[in-house]
Parts: sequence; structure tokens; C-alpha cells
Amino acid sequence: MTLLKHEIKMNLKTLLIWTLSVGVLCAGCILLFKSLEESMRGMAAAYSDMGAFSAALGMDKLSVSTLEGFYGTEIALMFAIGGAMFAAMTGASMLSKEEEGHTCEFLLTLPMGRRTVIFGKYMAMALLVLLFNGVTVLLILTGFVGIGEMPDGKTFALYHGAQLLMQLEIGSVCFLISAIAKRRQLGASLGLAMLLYMADLMCRIIPDLEDLKYVTPYYFSNGADILAGGELQGEMVVISLIVTFFSVLAATVVYGKRDLAA
Amino acid sequence: MEKAIEITGLTKNYGKHRGVKGISLQVEKGDIFGFLGPNGAGKSTTIRSILGLLHFGQGEIKILGMDSVKQQKEILSRTGYMPSEAMFYPTMKVRDVIRFAADIRRRDCKAEAEKICEVLELDTGKKIEELSLGNRKKVSIVCAMQHKPELLILDEPTSGLDPLMQEAFFKLILNYNSQGTTCFLSSHVLTEVKRYCKNAAIIREGEIIRADTVENLSRSNLRKVRVWEAGEERSFSYSGDMKELIRKLNETELSDVLIEEPSLDELFMHYYSESDAREDRKEEVL
Repeated sequence: MTLLKHEIKMNLKTLLIWTLSVGVLCAGCILLFKSLEESMRGMAAAYSDMGAFSAALGMDKLSVSTLEGFYGTEIALMFAIGGAMFAAMTGASMLSKEEEGHTCEFLLTLPMGRRTVIFGKYMAMALLVLLFNGVTVLLILTGFVGIGEMPDGKTFALYHGAQLLMQLEIGSVCFLISAIAKRRQLGASLGLAMLLYMADLMCRIIPDLEDLKYVTPYYFSNGADILAGGELQGEMVVISLIVTFFSVLAATVVYGKRDLAA
Repeated sequence: MEKAIEITGLTKNYGKHRGVKGISLQVEKGDIFGFLGPNGAGKSTTIRSILGLLHFGQGEIKILGMDSVKQQKEILSRTGYMPSEAMFYPTMKVRDVIRFAADIRRRDCKAEAEKICEVLELDTGKKIEELSLGNRKKVSIVCAMQHKPELLILDEPTSGLDPLMQEAFFKLILNYNSQGTTCFLSSHVLTEVKRYCKNAAIIREGEIIRADTVENLSRSNLRKVRVWEAGEERSFSYSGDMKELIRKLNETELSDVLIEEPSLDELFMHYYSESDAREDRKEEVL
């Protein structure tokens, strides 16, 4: 618990910056919707008729001229990428920052045991991601209240639940990278978050790459799919949970056996 | 006598690079034990193996009678460690770092921490990033001692401390030692080992070359020999059969000779530099 509190405190500034940036951006765009509604109506037909491009961005399923469609295609994209980047950065620095900052000898010679350190740090990462989601969702809902129109509660909750799972999966994979690396791999973690987003776009555009949908967690947590269909694909969620579980397990094994640099 | 540290056949390699090889060492409870060696000799590797930061290939380490691998958490709860590099979280305040270490130990160390901070004149309101190396060392001392450990492991503790603070630091060490704390002191500084340690070991190129009381280590058959021959002075160190030395000196035309015991510094330099310190042989040093 002490380590968990310590990590939250150490990451509070980053959490605030990312939460406010993503949350205010999303809420601001929602507030802009009313003034954009007219022009969106004109563009909706064109957007939905752009073949693979429309499919990649979900505009074949939802109309950008409706608030739900605007949220599922435009805002969900900003939220997904912002959230994934925050989770990736947080996960990637959790363990390796101790070696990079030479604080390893201080932390690991306190009577906790490496497993407790790993558990505490993973829980801190998960809590930070949860707090990021909680506050951004509140800001987004404030935006909806501002324009006097609320989204469907069930699909909204389902979408943000899927986003949370997606961010935890990416955060966990980056947590594993952090257990292996001696330096903070921020570039690699942000690259991974973007690469997985690219994989989602590719598998939607190129039929031969369809199987990438099992690799990228952006696929099952896609805003347009969930808000249009109202459900999650169970097998994808299971894959995501398996990847998350084995990433944490591998991080525990690797970090438990590693020689730690001074 | 109970042992605070028992190392048997410790071997640790870093891939192809040497770490330590077959180290065996015993430190009695209540001792202040000096661990001497040049840079890269294996002092920190030994200490980091004791503390569980490194996984060693062969050997066994027992700390306070406990297995260093299986009972690491219990060992760390009864041990205080001061690393050679005193690094903490830069944005944290000194008092928060000290409290964090105490909270992890689930101990109320406030009174003891305040006492040590007062002795070391440490400003606990400052942020770590504002501190000099010497002041970071002081934070490290507080974190290592505030829970009154049974064993203190100190890796080059005085580097960065001014002479006054070194004095204050050793007063603290002697005070804890008088209350039963064992101290394992890794150092380059021979005078502090001679002044404060009862026993010591010398490590060189990953191997213990001598382990004995500081008094016995200071005794040796190594002699500094100065000879005056045809108006010229020549000096060398000699470790070997004295009869042989006298026989050789007799064969020369000496005007004078002085054979004296080396100082402790010279003795340790001899241990550090000799390719095999245990082999008796004559060596010209100067």
C-alpha cells in the first residue's frame, strides 16, 4: 500500500496533464458539435461513401451528422489514441525508471521482496489508468450535459469498459518491456501504441490482413463498432485478458530473476 | 561466536566478465568489519549478492543465520544498507524519503530519524534534487540507521562527506555498534579501517587474498629495505627469508642499511599490487 501511494504521488503530475488534455479535448469537441452539426450533415453522405477509408474509421456504420456517430468516429479516435499512449507510457516507466534513476538499490533493499514491488507497481499502473478513464469520462459527460443531449448509457459504458481493457492490455505489455529494459522505453512504448492502431486500420482496409484483428486491442474496443452494434466480441476480450495476464506473469518472472544494475 | 555474515564459496560472473570467485568470509556479530579492495575488485558485487540485488551462480550466503535467497525479506527488515551511490527520487523532499523508507518497514522511526538528522545537520525540508552528494549521503545514512538494524552494510560510506561529518558518522557507527549492531564496512580508506575496524578482509580481482584481524594484517614479513652503497641510496620491499636477505646484503659493499616495517598504507598497497601476495618473494618496488 505504501508503494502504491508512493507511485500514485510520483505520477500525479503526468496523470493530471494527460487526463486534462484528453478529457478537455474530447469534452470541447462535444461542445462544438452543435455548431458543426449543419456542416457535418452535408459531409456525412460523402464520408460514408469512401469505401475502405469509411470502413477503417467506422463511418460506414455511423453517421458523423448524429451526436452518437460524431462521438463514435471522431472523439472515440482521440480518446483511444490518447488513452493508449498514456497507458503505454505509464507501463513502460514503472520498473525501468528505478534502474535508470539509480534508485533501485534504495527501493529493492527495503524489506518488500521483488514480487511485492512488481505487484505494487502494477497495481499503481492499473489505478492510474483507471483514474485517467474515470476523470476523462466525467469530463466527456460534462460535455454531453453542456449540449443537453446524453448518449445511450449501455453502449457508452460498454465502449469505455472496452477502452479500459484495451489500455490495460497495452499498459501490461509495456510493463513487461519495463521489466526487461534498464532504461525507460518511452519511444518504444508510444511506438507500440501507434503501431497497434495502424494494425487496426490495416486489418479493416486490407482483407488479407484481417487476422491482425486478433493482435490489436483497438479492434475489439473500436468506438464505431460498439456504439453501432451495442456489443463486444467475446473472443477478442478473452484474447485481451490472456495477453494482459501473461504479460504481467512474464514481467514477474523476468524481473524476479534479473540482476539489477546499481 | 555467532556469525552475522557467513559467505561460503560465492561465485558471481557477469557473462564472460569476472565478478567474484569462490569467496568465503565470516563476520562475527558485534564486529566492525572492514572490506578492503581497489576499484573493480568485487566489493560491490559481494555486497549486492548479500542483499539479493544480484543472483549468484554458486555458493551460499547466510545473514544473521538466515539464507540470503530464501529469507531475503526478513534479512532486509533487520539490515540497514548504505549504497556507494546515494540516489533517491529527485522531486521528493528529504523528510518524505525518510518517511517512505520507515513506512515500508512498518516502523515508527520518527524519533531516531530526527536524532540522526540533528547529528548530521540535515535539512529535511529540501528536495533531493537540491542536495549535494554529501547531503544525499546523509539521507542514505538516516535511511540505513533509523530502524536501528542488527546489521549495517556500508558501501564506501564516507566518500562525499567532509571530515567533520565523517567524524560524526563514525560516532554514530560506534554508538550503534556499542548497542550490538554489526557493521560491514566496504572502503578504500585504510585509515578509517585501521581506526574503527577490528577485523578486515582484502579482496583483489574477485578473490579474498587475506582475512584477519586488522592488527594481524598490519603485521607481515614484508620489510622496507634502504641501503646506501657507494654514496647512492636504494630502497626496496622484501618479503621472504630474512637469512637470505642478510646473506645477499653481506655480498655487497654497503655503507649503511635500514630495515623497517612498512606502514599500513604501504602494506595494503603491497596486497593490492602483488600478483600473489601469499607467495614469498623478493620484489623491488622503488
